[in-house]
Amino acid sequence: MKYKLIKAIDVAGLTFLTPVVRLCYGEEPKKQLQEIGRFIVVPLIAFAVFVGLWGAIAPRHKTKSGEVPTPLVVWDAASSIWRFHDREADKEDAYGLSGKTREQKLAIVEKRLSQLEPLETLANQHVKEANAARTTSVEELVGPILTQYEKLDAEFSAAQTEREAALKRDAGLLASADRAAREAYLQRVRDHAAKTEAEREQLKELKAEETAIRAEKFPQLVNALKAQTRIAEERQYLGKLSEQLGHGNRTLKLDEQMAQLRADQVTFLSAEGDAAFMLAQRIVRQEARIQKTSESTYAKPWTLPMQIYRSLACVFAGFLIGSAIAIPIGVLCGLSKTFMAAMTPFIALFKPVSPIVWLPIALIIVGGFIPDPDKHWLIDFLANLPLLGWMKINPAFIASAITVALCSLWATMTNTALGVASIDKDHLNVARVLRLGFKDRLFKIVIPSSLPLIFAGLRISLGVGWMVLIAAELLSSSEGIGKFVWDQFNNGASDSFAKMMVVVFVVGLIGLVLDRIMIVFQRLVSFDDAAAAI
Amino acid sequence: MKPFLHHLLASTRLSLLPVLLLIGALSGCGSSDSGLVLDLPDDLSVAAAESGTTEDAASESVTESPEAPATAAPKTLLNLEKDELKFGFIKLTDCAPIVIAREKGFFADEGLQVEVIAQPNWKTLLDNVINGELDGAHMLSGQPIAATIGFGTKAHVITAFTMDLNGNGITVSNSVWEQMQQHDENLKSPTPKHPITADALKPIVQEKLASGEKLQMGMVFPVSTHNYELRYWLAAAGINPGFYTKTDIGGRTDAEVELSVTPPPMMPATLEAGNIQGYCVGEPWNQQAVAKGIGVPVTTNYDIWKNNPEKVFGVTKKWADENPNTHLAVVKALIRAGQWLDETNAAGDLINREEAARILSRPDYVGADYDVIKNSMTGFFFFQKTDKRPMPDFNVFFKYHCTYPWYSDGVWFLTQMRRWGQITEPKPAEWYDETAKQVYRPDIYKQAARMLVSEGLLAESDVPWETDGYKEPTSDFIDGVLYDGHDPIGYLNSHKIGNKD
Repeated sequence: MKYKLIKAIDVAGLTFLTPVVRLCYGEEPKKQLQEIGRFIVVPLIAFAVFVGLWGAIAPRHKTKSGEVPTPLVVWDAASSIWRFHDREADKEDAYGLSGKTREQKLAIVEKRLSQLEPLETLANQHVKEANAARTTSVEELVGPILTQYEKLDAEFSAAQTEREAALKRDAGLLASADRAAREAYLQRVRDHAAKTEAEREQLKELKAEETAIRAEKFPQLVNALKAQTRIAEERQYLGKLSEQLGHGNRTLKLDEQMAQLRADQVTFLSAEGDAAFMLAQRIVRQEARIQKTSESTYAKPWTLPMQIYRSLACVFAGFLIGSAIAIPIGVLCGLSKTFMAAMTPFIALFKPVSPIVWLPIALIIVGGFIPDPDKHWLIDFLANLPLLGWMKINPAFIASAITVALCSLWATMTNTALGVASIDKDHLNVARVLRLGFKDRLFKIVIPSSLPLIFAGLRISLGVGWMVLIAAELLSSSEGIGKFVWDQFNNGASDSFAKMMVVVFVVGLIGLVLDRIMIVFQRLVSFDDAAAAI
Repeated sequence: MKPFLHHLLASTRLSLLPVLLLIGALSGCGSSDSGLVLDLPDDLSVAAAESGTTEDAASESVTESPEAPATAAPKTLLNLEKDELKFGFIKLTDCAPIVIAREKGFFADEGLQVEVIAQPNWKTLLDNVINGELDGAHMLSGQPIAATIGFGTKAHVITAFTMDLNGNGITVSNSVWEQMQQHDENLKSPTPKHPITADALKPIVQEKLASGEKLQMGMVFPVSTHNYELRYWLAAAGINPGFYTKTDIGGRTDAEVELSVTPPPMMPATLEAGNIQGYCVGEPWNQQAVAKGIGVPVTTNYDIWKNNPEKVFGVTKKWADENPNTHLAVVKALIRAGQWLDETNAAGDLINREEAARILSRPDYVGADYDVIKNSMTGFFFFQKTDKRPMPDFNVFFKYHCTYPWYSDGVWFLTQMRRWGQITEPKPAEWYDETAKQVYRPDIYKQAARMLVSEGLLAESDVPWETDGYKEPTSDFIDGVLYDGHDPIGYLNSHKIGNKD
């Protein structure tokens, strides 16, 4: 059992857990504790120190787009992202609810709405008070600066006019041939300009001081606004929810349309001539409408969890396309030096090209193949697939996937070529002795023995692909994590910065998991016990 | 899920009925009339009873529920060709009609489920509408016109709905503002007199030119209102903003100030980075500059041209031809959204704007802070942190017959395209009229409005039924030049700077 566990941990690349297992079995406790200290406690402490430093340093660096968010603010942002997702899911559910559940839910919503009303008035009151308090405190601080500014401004401009007047007056007194006097005069004008500049600087500094005070955050107001926003957002959400449960509800709409249909059918029976034709037409139309209504769903906006799912789908699509190209070419390169020589210029030429270049090209090419995405068979087919259908795969998605493929296939290709080229000569000799055909040689000898390196290449490719994808989505505005970041940057709201930080962790975490998965695969196909890279 | 399935079953069963009935009726004709009359009601009552049992309490609650629209005014239900739509928008407060029509259920009332998707810039937005990725979008007024005449991407795009009036501002960086103050004493006051012309900017431009540099300013798209307004403002003070020519599609020939394209949400960041020293953009990106303390809005486009047309709702002609009823339903919902946005109480205060600002501040819509969006949406504008002024008409979504697609608006944009050389050849006056009529479609608007009037949702007086599509001539411009849409050539020739025909 113990060795099985250790073996499993080793394959999964989670070697830092090995000492824990050994300790549980009571094997050399002292040594295991040491190991635990080094591989688990130290990283944890390092992370804690990082978070602590972050929390301490972040508030000191102020940008014009707001402060660098502290860990706490980022956590808040993460929960607000989640709340948004939750609420949208709620609205979607509400649209499809019917019967008793709908009524019960509606009652709950109405009750909560009525509870919110006094809370909202209170929050508005708080904001008003905080605003007033802020204004008085700012005015108090700014007042003396302003008076000083005005005083200095008046003083300076008086002094300036005086100096200018004196200079003008003296200009008339300059004797025509007195070079020294002229030079002295020039110096005086220079001094005047310098002085004026200095005075202006002084005023500017005062102004900057005033601006800084006005820009200063007022904690009471910030908190009051936050509370107000939360309540207002909840009210907005509940309002929409009650609409989705009330007259906007699908079941209710259907019932209403059915009632109309039935009424029409009854009148149709006694109608004659033109009227009968009109009615029949109306009935047919109404049926189509009922059909559409019964299939309709709430048009839900994209939320981060959905975007993550779509990004993952996109990266795997790209990864599969890339691997399907890279592995065969890599194998051929490894088998034949001539083929390798033929491919080298292409590999060398295309490998360093940035995703930013591939993407627009891919977009244009895909756009050329799919001129009318609404009616294209491929898009239609993808929209009806069970797990992928809801993701609304569009040309931008395909272009992003192709970009991922183009950027990530090189690692797999070169690794495959290397793997194939470095097969043990003895293996190949055995194949020759056994007179194995090309197919047998390929599938029994070449591929199996180069698998470890192929997987090492795939692992790098997936990592590169994940990195490239975010940029590709950002540029193509294909829904996904990249689009989320771009939207946040464009929003420029006070919490946008923090939301982008949330994405940093999300992307990092997913990248880590993907990497670990690839390590497991790599281990499973390896014969030797080479240690996995971390 | 289960009750939903029941409904589906019920509806498919019902849908078979009329077919049977018709067959019955046809065969019945041959035999006797009495058979028909006797047979059908029996069938129907059975069917009705059946479907009654498959439906649960929900159907009963309909009749009791006061919210059920069946009991409200009779609705003209359109036979929609398409009921799930995707509309694009740019993160600006004037996308409000689309967002409000969605959030307040006006689209749902027409049986539409609409997804509203933020687009990164105007070019992508237009491309996505043309290639069918989007069904329609919040567009710059110049975009349908330019696309139709083939400046930039060529495609026949039409509009049957003007989304709003006004709503833009020109912001300059703090340092340019300081220099402007040095050149004009009047600007030093914390609340300087408006309108502020570009006269104080002229010496700065000339100083820069003397040192071999050009002042850089940002606008959002070559055929945007912002481009024309910024040019108008500069040219009114005798600053040449540059011309487009056949070979210069950047519009910088002879320029004293160079204009470049930056997407609206990127404006504050680009200004802060120092790549541009000023910009013309819609809200909330001017208020954002004030909130972040990186620039000073010097003027709004209300001062440049009082009640100028701003955004339109654009679709391709192809889409409109394929989905005429859906288009009508969309316009209906948008008119109602505009009406909701401009609703006032007895005292004349806008009552729904705070709620609108709250909705727009959601991250999937405009996403800026509520406080920033609220300023301009509720009729106020911060020119500096200490200079807040009431501007009740900063955004007009319904008043002044603003949602009507006026030909004269189209002609004005065409004159500006000619003035700055985007239209390279001189054109006769009739061409302006014809082109405007290809793009602006009041016929669709009127049809939608007529339905709303008969449903009791719109007042007869809210629509200019009898107009020829041209607004009254106006000289409400910053330089007082008279604009008459019937005389585009005369208008072109009345400007000092610009192409003349």
